Amino acid sequence: MGRRNVTARLAARRDLTEDSFSLRLRLEGAFDRPIPGQFVMIRPAGGSQPFWRRAFSVAGFETDGAGGWLDLMVKIVGPATQAWHELPLHTPVEVLGPLGAGYPVDQAHGRLALIAGGIGLPPLVYAIPGLARRGVRWDLYLGAATASRLVGLEECSRLADTSGGRIIIATDDGSAGERGLIPVVLERRIDAGELYDSLWSCGPMAMLRAVAEVARRRHIEAQLALEERMACGLGVCLGCVVPAAGGGHLRVCREGPVIDASRIDWSRM
Amino acid sequence: MTTPDLSVTVGGLELANPVLAASGTFGYGLDLDDLCPPERLGGVVTKGLSPKPKAGAPMPRIAETACGMLNAIGLENVGVDAFCRDTLPTLVERGVTVIVNVFGASPAEYRAVIQRCETAGGIAGYELNVSCPNVSSGGMEFGHDPALLEELTRLCRDATRRPLWVKLSPNAPDLVATARAAVAGGADALSLINTIRGMAIDPYRRRPELARTFGGLSGPAVLPIALRMVHEVHRALPAVPLVGLGGIETGLDAVRFMLAGASAVQVGTATFRRPDTMLRIIDELAAYCRKTNTDRAASLTGALEEIS
Repeated sequence: MGRRNVTARLAARRDLTEDSFSLRLRLEGAFDRPIPGQFVMIRPAGGSQPFWRRAFSVAGFETDGAGGWLDLMVKIVGPATQAWHELPLHTPVEVLGPLGAGYPVDQAHGRLALIAGGIGLPPLVYAIPGLARRGVRWDLYLGAATASRLVGLEECSRLADTSGGRIIIATDDGSAGERGLIPVVLERRIDAGELYDSLWSCGPMAMLRAVAEVARRRHIEAQLALEERMACGLGVCLGCVVPAAGGGHLRVCREGPVIDASRIDWSRM
Repeated sequence: MTTPDLSVTVGGLELANPVLAASGTFGYGLDLDDLCPPERLGGVVTKGLSPKPKAGAPMPRIAETACGMLNAIGLENVGVDAFCRDTLPTLVERGVTVIVNVFGASPAEYRAVIQRCETAGGIAGYELNVSCPNVSSGGMEFGHDPALLEELTRLCRDATRRPLWVKLSPNAPDLVATARAAVAGGADALSLINTIRGMAIDPYRRRPELARTFGGLSGPAVLPIALRMVHEVHRALPAVPLVGLGGIETGLDAVRFMLAGASAVQVGTATFRRPDTMLRIIDELAAYCRKTNTDRAASLTGALEEIS
């Protein structure tokens, strides 16, 4: 399965918006290349806080002769994420991963809509180079409440320039791009004739539900990266389940986090 | 000194070392194989199994607390048939010591799980989860009523000759009375403690953190309580083998439980925090034995010295 528990060091941190930042971790030794959509569970090494590790989707991964570089994006939502903003550089960090099921990059074809809301950008940004290598065309829908909360716009523009994608921005208040919720903007464009083979999305659950609904109405496949509270990230605590179509549950940490929207029983969510 | 002997015996069951995976924290035995191979443990207690698959509780099911966590998973499991068919053969082939954790909504359901396992073979023993409401007698938990517990234990005792453990609830009104009842019903050993009922609240949403409102507290927060309970039962019933659990994270924690009277220990929530914790505990236990010139880890059981 390629899951490992390793010690890394906090190598760099950069503020992205007023409440989000990126982390770069230096991994010494072997670590399997994560598939876009896979995640890691991390916590500062040796400490007792927070009690659980926290799950973060991989935003980038590079290797050199001695090890790897792991990029993550963090939105400050509470004390545990705030602590990552204060943690001194070079602090040892326990990293467990790569975990879960990622996006089906190997089967991607044609034209994709990549839909990111909130702090949902990391797995999609990380997927783009692989999609470009396969000749898959992409439109990235980037949504936020307001212009100052748009995460990663600079990096997305660079990716669009190098791999021929398009970026469509929407803000709830209209302060950047189109006004409105991102799934509404997406459907408006589909109505206007945009054709997509698949919708790949990551973001808040309400947005994912709306994307799933667009996919259902338009008969388009949708691959959603879900987020849930997790104690273990390994499939054994059963704390992160979502109801499965046809009964039972799917574990966000094992069957997901990327799950085909049609496999979820939305009526029981 | 030479390598210490970590093997222990719990009510007739021999274990290579005293560290077992606690029920509900290690899947069905193979889920963490890549990070913690089950054959290196003293044994694995499976996720609680019922006669039929069970969907469990609504979300949210877990909450982080100070030095611990709450869970209300609702005993979600694949059912005893799927376990015996899909997982048990591999565990047996690999030489894993498998303790099946058993629960049901009625005494007959407990018995049905054991009977199904008996036909499969290769199981080392059973652990009864009695922190479960008895639907057939008004929802009282089996583990809270000594008479009910004794009857349940006896019914299960009659269904198997393999070692039978009863996992005691710390929420019972009289712990020692339930311990006595389980022994009277034929239990070979007692494991304690199960989680302690607790609650967490989100102050901004003004709602409980768990969909079921209440859940079971585990992790280092409960360790002193668990230790006290193990020692209390050991004092009252010194001849009864005990398996101690509750917040164990290190080899020294395991030693503490053994000194208090446990013959073996289980590790649960610590596995969530770090999946190879049990392997480290085994190493740390061996290191403790070397440092203190303890030839046999089994000699630690009940070796607590009172302050005079």
